[in-house]
Amino acid sequence: MVSAIIGRLSQAFLLLLVMSVIGFIGIHSVGNPVFNLVNAEAATPEDIRRATVALGLDQPVWHQYFRFIGNVLTGNFGTSYIYHLPAFQLVMGKLPATLELAIVAMMIAAPTGVLLGLLAGRRKDKPVDWAILRLSVIALSIPSFWLSMMLILIGAILTGWFPSGGRGPTGTLLGTEWSFLTLDGLRQLTLPALALALPNIALIARLTRSGTIEVETQDFTRFCQAKGLSPRRILFRHTLPNISIPIVTIIGMQFGGMLAFAVVVESIFNWPGVGKLLIDSIQLLDRPVVMATLTFISIAFVALNALVDLFYVVLDPRTRHSA
Amino acid sequence: MKTDTMRTFWKRPGRSRVSLPLLILMAYVVLAVAGSLIAPQNPYDPLQIYAWESSSSPGTAGSGGYTYLLGTDGLGRDIFSTVLYGLRISLFVAFTSTALAAFIGVTAGVTAAYAGKLGDALIMRIVDLQLSLPTILVALIAIVTLGPGIDRIILALVIVQWATYARVTRGVAMSEASKSYLDAAHLLRLPARRIIFRHLLPNSIAPAITLVPIELGHAVALEATLSFLGLGVPIDKPSLGSAVANGFQYLLTGQYWISLFPGLALFGLIASINFVGEDVRRRLDPRSR
Amino acid sequence: MQFMRKFRQPLLALALATVLSPGLAATTVMADELRIGTQLKLMTLDPHYADLNENNALLAHIYERLVRQDEHLSPQPALAVSWKRLAPTQWEFKLREGVKFHDGSPFTAQDVIYSIERVRDFLKPPSGGFQSYTKPIKSVTAPDPMIIVIETDGEAPTLPLQMTTLFILPHKTSGFATSEELNSGAKPNGTGPYKFAGWQSGERLTLASNPDYWGGAPAWSDVTFRVIENPAARVAALTTGDVDLADYIPARDVENLKQRNIKIESTSASRSNFLQFDIASETHPGITDKSGKTIANPFRDSRVRQALTMATDRPFITEKILSGYGTAASQIFPPGLSGTSDKLKVTPPDYDGAKALLAEAGYPEGFNVVLAGPGGRYPGDAESLQSVAQNWARIGVTVQPVVSPFSVFMTKRSSGEYPLWYGGCSGEAVTLCLDGVLASQNEALGTGSLNYGRYENKTFDQMLIKAKAMEDGPGRSEALASATEFVMADYPTIPLYHFHLIVGHSQKVGSYTVHPRGWTMAMQAAPPTE
Repeated sequence: MVSAIIGRLSQAFLLLLVMSVIGFIGIHSVGNPVFNLVNAEAATPEDIRRATVALGLDQPVWHQYFRFIGNVLTGNFGTSYIYHLPAFQLVMGKLPATLELAIVAMMIAAPTGVLLGLLAGRRKDKPVDWAILRLSVIALSIPSFWLSMMLILIGAILTGWFPSGGRGPTGTLLGTEWSFLTLDGLRQLTLPALALALPNIALIARLTRSGTIEVETQDFTRFCQAKGLSPRRILFRHTLPNISIPIVTIIGMQFGGMLAFAVVVESIFNWPGVGKLLIDSIQLLDRPVVMATLTFISIAFVALNALVDLFYVVLDPRTRHSA
Repeated sequence: MKTDTMRTFWKRPGRSRVSLPLLILMAYVVLAVAGSLIAPQNPYDPLQIYAWESSSSPGTAGSGGYTYLLGTDGLGRDIFSTVLYGLRISLFVAFTSTALAAFIGVTAGVTAAYAGKLGDALIMRIVDLQLSLPTILVALIAIVTLGPGIDRIILALVIVQWATYARVTRGVAMSEASKSYLDAAHLLRLPARRIIFRHLLPNSIAPAITLVPIELGHAVALEATLSFLGLGVPIDKPSLGSAVANGFQYLLTGQYWISLFPGLALFGLIASINFVGEDVRRRLDPRSR
Repeated sequence: MQFMRKFRQPLLALALATVLSPGLAATTVMADELRIGTQLKLMTLDPHYADLNENNALLAHIYERLVRQDEHLSPQPALAVSWKRLAPTQWEFKLREGVKFHDGSPFTAQDVIYSIERVRDFLKPPSGGFQSYTKPIKSVTAPDPMIIVIETDGEAPTLPLQMTTLFILPHKTSGFATSEELNSGAKPNGTGPYKFAGWQSGERLTLASNPDYWGGAPAWSDVTFRVIENPAARVAALTTGDVDLADYIPARDVENLKQRNIKIESTSASRSNFLQFDIASETHPGITDKSGKTIANPFRDSRVRQALTMATDRPFITEKILSGYGTAASQIFPPGLSGTSDKLKVTPPDYDGAKALLAEAGYPEGFNVVLAGPGGRYPGDAESLQSVAQNWARIGVTVQPVVSPFSVFMTKRSSGEYPLWYGGCSGEAVTLCLDGVLASQNEALGTGSLNYGRYENKTFDQMLIKAKAMEDGPGRSEALASATEFVMADYPTIPLYHFHLIVGHSQKVGSYTVHPRGWTMAMQAAPPTE
């Protein structure tokens, strides 16, 4: 158990290191960020050169990298070239927006997906099952950026029911600003949350379906049926508890995936979260922020997966023995 | 005939070998190959474009003597032609990258299984590393590092996808490698390359093949997403994804056709690939029935 | 001072009177809240950090300058009530009495000295955006708490104009405020008509009216700037009523907006966009003959430049691509502004003449050339490249347009990767663009900073130096105009267009006067008159 955790941690560490080298060099080679922070229509080449020197961008890339790593070890990701704020603080500032989006999306996706999955699983090979399966493939085939655009077209432009983008007014909870606390904020949240939820509904439904089929064909379910237990009782007392582990697993993992996929949805809905920050920073070549954002998303993803595994061990006695 | 396929599509898998999705996918490939013959305009040639007819709605007659069936985009390119040419790029990128990724991944997986502890650890560490990150993130890092361009995006997709093949193949190859016929091969002192390519590979390739359609769908979607984010193919030669992206800003002001039609084409493509993939998987894996 | 009368509109006078004159403004105090959707992404609260429109427009609500530049670009009293030139290198500014910072402390000469010294001595790159304005300043002294004397190294006939750039910060008893301090920590403290209420960097800036403003309480009780970078999203926010006013409206959306009862205001921006040639290189891999072999750089021959200019259909760009919201350009600054020529005219394309001239220069078959530009930076940028490619194809010049994100384009351009590119210049006066784009590269004189193609014209350089040394007035304007006419006859660049700045607003705003510098400000918006 302990060795597994250490192994995981060292692997995560290695991952971050490799990623940081690649990302660092990658952004370095694209262009000079100085052009985004001086007035390019007035600045002299001398101004540009001095600004480049001031940011340390004239140094060989390896020097820059080692200085960056040195700073990161002291907990400092550097200062954003564009916003002039500590990069990590900037990422943390955008986190509530992304979190609330992912949480609301999951609150839509998990119950809907489980419900559809149960429905399909219990009516295996019936028309309902096939329709749900087909629809799930279709849902998984819509690229998330196009889905977002179509939601804007239908939900905002044609009907005017929801705003076309942006984050609404916020309320304060636990010292943080959340937009789901206000009515307008919820309205603004609806479309992006739906865009993020739809593919996850499909995934969760498929998983729940196969879980249900597996459990219901097992001996103990047949035994229950033979005993004359009502189908509802079998479902809630036996089937659901037995398929809850894989469902929780997929929900946990998908939550991490949502944090990453928010990149697309956020930039379309102009949602000021971590994902939009990443894309904006890539386009503005704001390297400290890109590095901080990438590191944050990776850590969150790896940590979530580790948590899910841990949960698995706690919940399922069989894996405890084999681990 | 057609209604039949339609009905079986929504109900049970029929006995017929040709399903509706496969027909659609084949139509897509034909359109992509013959696109330049069908398209009234070459959207990459500035001389064939009438910039002042930009953002024309579907059905508008154009100066080139043909009708803009699906309208024009903000630069005056015929959407119908853009979709046909973009389809070619999207499919080319997806097929090439999937083939390369499958080849590299399978080879790596088999090599890992055969190469003993050290080689196995080395290859599988990289695989684990990569698969512990969301694919979209790996793709983003790769494309930012490599820069824009069609060749780069293919490379980025290969980087993203090879690991899945490697992991799956290695699993099978491990069990295959422990079988007695390979011991025999060792005893006969066959060269390693021969053992890998003549014996291990053919016997371990099946799971990788079931992966191909799924990954092909992923590749199309990923390329489109990267291009949409402005990190993929160059804007003067749009793939379906960048064609949708070009239309995004017009969507909000009601010129829906610029992103609707390329998006529909893209969605249809991915959906047909995914349905074909499901069929393949179901046929090869009877348990999933 | 004679300035562009063309731009004067009756509305303008009304708007200015409402916003700025104390008597009138008092009747419209606390009218309402104004919500503005803007492209300008405010990224810092340090008004001295970078000379970008983002900072100059939004922070102008909180901070003020000694001199204000009005809609005709002429200097108007702000924190200084009057100024005079004491000697060729000496200017005196008389400061406004009774002005208070938002925290209640009085505005004095100390604050001016502090602000100038902060920019000149304290700020280090990359925060050196304004240093080019303070570099020539030798000393700033205060003979009286309300009088400032600025001593310059060389002659500075236009120092008041330079003072329209620098925001005045309240002085500190010791040392200087760092950018980090201004960004986090304490509230920004200025003398402007609006007080800082809150911000989220890159997302939102909220302001509250300053009832004690020296010019009278401003028209709006609260102002919110929402950063909406995507132009289409900005238009959508305006049509759905999420914002009352939106800036940088794409020309293609104007008709649609008018139908939805949105009022449109526009003005020609004090800038130009043009095609610039690499003239210094002997050969360039981006210029080839029809078989793909690199050839000697044809742009060194002014006949080739002239032929290409003749074959460029500029009215098409302004009429079709910019939907009429642009002026076809024949020089570097919009005609009508001080120092521009009224003799230079845009001619319709003459493809036959151009082809003949190209043949005379030795290119009867034309050649292939790469034309680079940024995408989505300026209205009509990528589209113009395509349109130029179509034009030139008619005289045998095959253009390969290359469009990249701005920073990538700039990096490659400064490393000399392009033989021909789309450029832009803007500024507070025509001299800035003449100096930057057309004068020879000369670090000592600070000229040629945007002359990436290293065009050189010694006679023009001399004419420009002479004109710039002249006292502000008609004589100087004429000298600048004739220098422009002289240099344009050599076709150093192909001027394309001066795009118009378009602002849309709902009925909640009575009128809006667009500032030609592209600054979106609540002060330009007047509430509806009852």
